[in-house]
Amino acid sequence: MAGGLGGLQGLGGVLNGLAQEAFYGHQGITEELLRSQLYPEVSLEEFRPFLAKMRGILKSIASADMDFNQLEAFLTAQTKKQGGISSDQATVISKFWKSHKIKIRESLVNQSRWDSGLRGLSWRVDGKSQSRHSAQIHTPVAIMELEIGKSGQESEFLCLEFDEVKVNQLLKKLSEVEESISTLMQPA
Amino acid sequence: MEGCSEPRLDAKSEVTNQLVDFQWKLGMAVSSDSCRSLKYPYVAVLLKVADHSGQVKNKSFEMTIPQFQNFYRQFKEIAAVIETV
Repeated sequence: MAGGLGGLQGLGGVLNGLAQEAFYGHQGITEELLRSQLYPEVSLEEFRPFLAKMRGILKSIASADMDFNQLEAFLTAQTKKQGGISSDQATVISKFWKSHKIKIRESLVNQSRWDSGLRGLSWRVDGKSQSRHSAQIHTPVAIMELEIGKSGQESEFLCLEFDEVKVNQLLKKLSEVEESISTLMQPA
Repeated sequence: MEGCSEPRLDAKSEVTNQLVDFQWKLGMAVSSDSCRSLKYPYVAVLLKVADHSGQVKNKSFEMTIPQFQNFYRQFKEIAAVIETV
């Protein structure tokens, strides 16, 4: 291993840069940027395979959402491989995963959600209202506004009106969903 | 005319819609190309909403389980309030 690439401080920065690009969607973190910032004394030809190796390791760990036992086994195997990593590097990677695991997982989950998500919800209940379309007065009405949006896109606001009957109808459906969730979450 | 006005919306959308139908599905994302071990449950919802002219549109979205539970809790609050008004 080239002397320069053995330095551990740079490795933390490399892992951060790789995570920013692979998981947090930050464009523009190039090989050259990482090299010049973290390993300026190392040539690009030497840096490239090192970076590829670290990227591969990080992606494997994230893809399997490794717990700490799996992580230890995996990293130990990497230290024993020809052209693998040193045990110091394994320690740095392990520490990185432990502190970033949750955030990276959240980011991967978001990447796989292609439908709109619910971004916000607000509501109020009006005591008395008269609609120009009906003669009803003194009918309480719930008005609910849903903020819906796809990743990276502007929100859409959907405003819904419910009378008491409709509220109870929807409530019943929601309780069916809740029941399904409880069944799913029960230990096998 | 006294007491005759559309509910004043401080909402961001200017039209209210009626909910015509609410369909739901509880899904479990198992795996994806970027993560082989996803394992996350989600609630997918399809709303059929009608505007004042009667035109019906579909709106769909997903919620995580905690988001759904918040949605449900808020709706129960609405039910409690609307009962007392």
